[in-house]
Amino acid sequence: MANQVTRRLYDFLKDVPPFNYVDDEAALLRVASRVEVTYLTPGTVVFRPGEPPRDRFFVVKEGAVELFRVDDAGEQLVERCGEGDVFGIRPLLAEDNYLFLARAAEESLVYAINTAGFRELLPLYPRVTQFLAATMAGSNRYAITATKPSPEATAELGAESLAFGLLESQRLGNLRQPITCFATARIVDAAKLMTEHNVGSIVVVSREHHPVGIITDRDFRSKVATGVRSPQDGVIKLMKKPVVCIGPTLTAADVQIEMLRRGINHLVQTEDGTRNSPITGVVSKHDLLVLQGNNPAVLIREIGRAKSAAYLRTLRERAERMLATYLEQEVSIVFITTIMTRLNDEIIRTCIKMGLARMQADGRGNPPALFDWLALGSQGRGEQLLRTDQDNALIFADVPAARYNTVKDYFLQLAGYVTESLNQVGFEYCTADMMASNPAWCLPVSKWKEQFTHWMDDNTAENLLNVSIFFDFRGVWGDGSLPAQLTKHIFRERPGSRTRFLASLAQMAVNYPSPLTFFRNFVVERSGEHKNQFDLKSRAMRPLTDAARVLMLEARVGNVNNTFRRYETMAELEPQNARGYREAAQAYEVLIRLRATVGLRRQDSGRYLEPKELTSMQRVLLRNSFNPVGDMQMRLETRFQLNFLR
Amino acid sequence: MAWWNKLLPGESTRIDPDWPVWYQQYTAACLAGTLPGSHPLSTARICVVDAETTGLDVKKDRLLSLAGLPVTDRTIFVRQQFEAYLPTPPDQLDHRAVAIHGIIPNSGRYVYDSEAELLRRFVKFIGADGIIVGHHIGFDVEIINRALIRAGAGPLRNRVIDTGQLAQRVQPAGYWTPPETFGLDSLARRYNIPLSDRHTALGDAYITAVLWLKLTGRLGDRVGRALLVEDL
Repeated sequence: MANQVTRRLYDFLKDVPPFNYVDDEAALLRVASRVEVTYLTPGTVVFRPGEPPRDRFFVVKEGAVELFRVDDAGEQLVERCGEGDVFGIRPLLAEDNYLFLARAAEESLVYAINTAGFRELLPLYPRVTQFLAATMAGSNRYAITATKPSPEATAELGAESLAFGLLESQRLGNLRQPITCFATARIVDAAKLMTEHNVGSIVVVSREHHPVGIITDRDFRSKVATGVRSPQDGVIKLMKKPVVCIGPTLTAADVQIEMLRRGINHLVQTEDGTRNSPITGVVSKHDLLVLQGNNPAVLIREIGRAKSAAYLRTLRERAERMLATYLEQEVSIVFITTIMTRLNDEIIRTCIKMGLARMQADGRGNPPALFDWLALGSQGRGEQLLRTDQDNALIFADVPAARYNTVKDYFLQLAGYVTESLNQVGFEYCTADMMASNPAWCLPVSKWKEQFTHWMDDNTAENLLNVSIFFDFRGVWGDGSLPAQLTKHIFRERPGSRTRFLASLAQMAVNYPSPLTFFRNFVVERSGEHKNQFDLKSRAMRPLTDAARVLMLEARVGNVNNTFRRYETMAELEPQNARGYREAAQAYEVLIRLRATVGLRRQDSGRYLEPKELTSMQRVLLRNSFNPVGDMQMRLETRFQLNFLR
Repeated sequence: MAWWNKLLPGESTRIDPDWPVWYQQYTAACLAGTLPGSHPLSTARICVVDAETTGLDVKKDRLLSLAGLPVTDRTIFVRQQFEAYLPTPPDQLDHRAVAIHGIIPNSGRYVYDSEAELLRRFVKFIGADGIIVGHHIGFDVEIINRALIRAGAGPLRNRVIDTGQLAQRVQPAGYWTPPETFGLDSLARRYNIPLSDRHTALGDAYITAVLWLKLTGRLGDRVGRALLVEDL
């Protein structure tokens, strides 16, 4: 029986990551029974940089321990570990010397966890390792979320993946009965069986019904029909092996991912998920499609066919439920934003279609000139997951002065209809009136060029704010020729004013100092309506988007709006800085995910976070994202020589 | 203000052959040399001890359980803990103390020792060089000593430190701190130690051990140098 002290330690550990991922009470009690409880007076050093690893790592029970980077410049605070935070895990994971100086900032009680009893748990609980890797001070790993589809896999999905739709959280449950044959069968027998049961695959099994190979329709097409194999050959000559197997508890999402990763359309389910147990089912890509009702492709099609804003609203709500599932499943943010952006774009297009129909009904006929609808801000960047205020503008082809007023009037009325519909869908009117229905933001190409030139020449605070919204424009209606003219114009700007403009933009990105670390795991707003909350947008996300934008403008790269794609592009342009850019991109993904998760739960924009509503894991991820924010700001300061501006 | 056990005259230097062997060995080790007062506290072996008894009358009441946690240099070594239970004496079966410590008489939940076996294990745990620390430990030591005498042995010979008295030194009683604020409950509250498992011997020993760490930490700050055994 575990005694009271062990139980007390256990009670604390069981709620603290990574220990909370160990759902085996007996195992965790064993860990707790080996804990040493150490008391630190303020200023006590736990370990110093360069010291050899110990067989312990630490959890703060109460108080706070600070980690410092020590160099010629002195000590720099890297991290402040508060109650429930783990530190000193380098010995556990890396077998490496300590990198930092750990010192008690206040009177603290820390639990020293014996690595000997703990390391054995790591292989059993991958989440524990993932968490520790993410927590490791000085590392910028966001590996926690990378367990599901890899970015490479999702990046390749493209349109086809939309057609198949991804990842429902439902369990597969019992799959359809597999059609099987023994290895002694001939190809023609297998073909007959498949035709008889009207299935696209047959599994070749051993005497014990363990799967040894699989034959699909594709093999008949590519090998039998082409004469490579004769129908009289044994199935062994045709089958693919080894068979990729899955266990019985997988979700549709897992299966989809496995198929994508391996580039196959059929998976075999066995009793224990390996090839060495009896076959229990088969799942094909087609089966998956049938399983999934709420897939993005269906939604997009529905949106395109919608005839009312009210129905669009319903569809957008369905999309949000799908989003919730994706977030829960930790699907890669690149994939999620791609899908949500396409959904949002389709909503905008449908609203425009409805607006054009109303213009017809009003007797105003067809558009008098070529036009495009510009999505701005986060939607322009293709990062909008939740329904926030609409930011948009309208651009139309230059027309003779004589027609200008009529044409502009037409587009203003159209924009009025579109923004009204969008508002009904749930994208509320922009309080700052940054909408196409505002005469100032419904302009022909030439006037837009003037406007952008003005913004770039006259770097007032207001103009720079406009830049941060308007420079992420993206056409969602036309053929892209009008926005392209604008992009070209921006990059043709005169060199002198350009330097000043970029420096001002960069200045804006560094204006909000990123929190170095949390106090008690949190830096909060000191005053105002959101006192004691963390402003995720201003403190973490905006510096990253602003930095990415100015870097792209400097590099004269257009058409890349998405913040993490911008960083990816920068990483390719400047291989020597690739690591920093990729970390920024990862941090941004983490932040988007966090904001969407919180926003969905609270049904708001997710901009302000309450410390207590975050899980420890979310806090760690958030905290880790601050380093890249600070790094990017420092990079801008050097590159644009911002110190001279002050 | 070192607090020394009062050893009975005549027993301090003599080894009585009638004692149980384990007590003879313990005494021999103690006579060979106890920890000098100038010894640094950081390397001393501190044994934080707590006893649960059937009541508060040292003459009548008996041990129910005894627990100890070793502490060296600011660290509690949970793994080397000592814990033992005694069956409830028949005449104390429905004593109201059950309500306090929650030890159900002769419950199947515990492995019971005989009193003599418990004492032998305890004395081995403390050793000759251990410093006994406890809250209002005088009572516990007295109960243990009386049990030792019943077992045909002599009293404990270790240095004993009371965290209650230590707390009073760190923050003396006065107009604003009435004496009852030096109870374990109120001290634990003052020093922010959760009270989740009060009134089990090991639970109390743990709370006392944390209290010990915090009190000596503060005392060390005040003294301004590394603490010696005689500082306590």
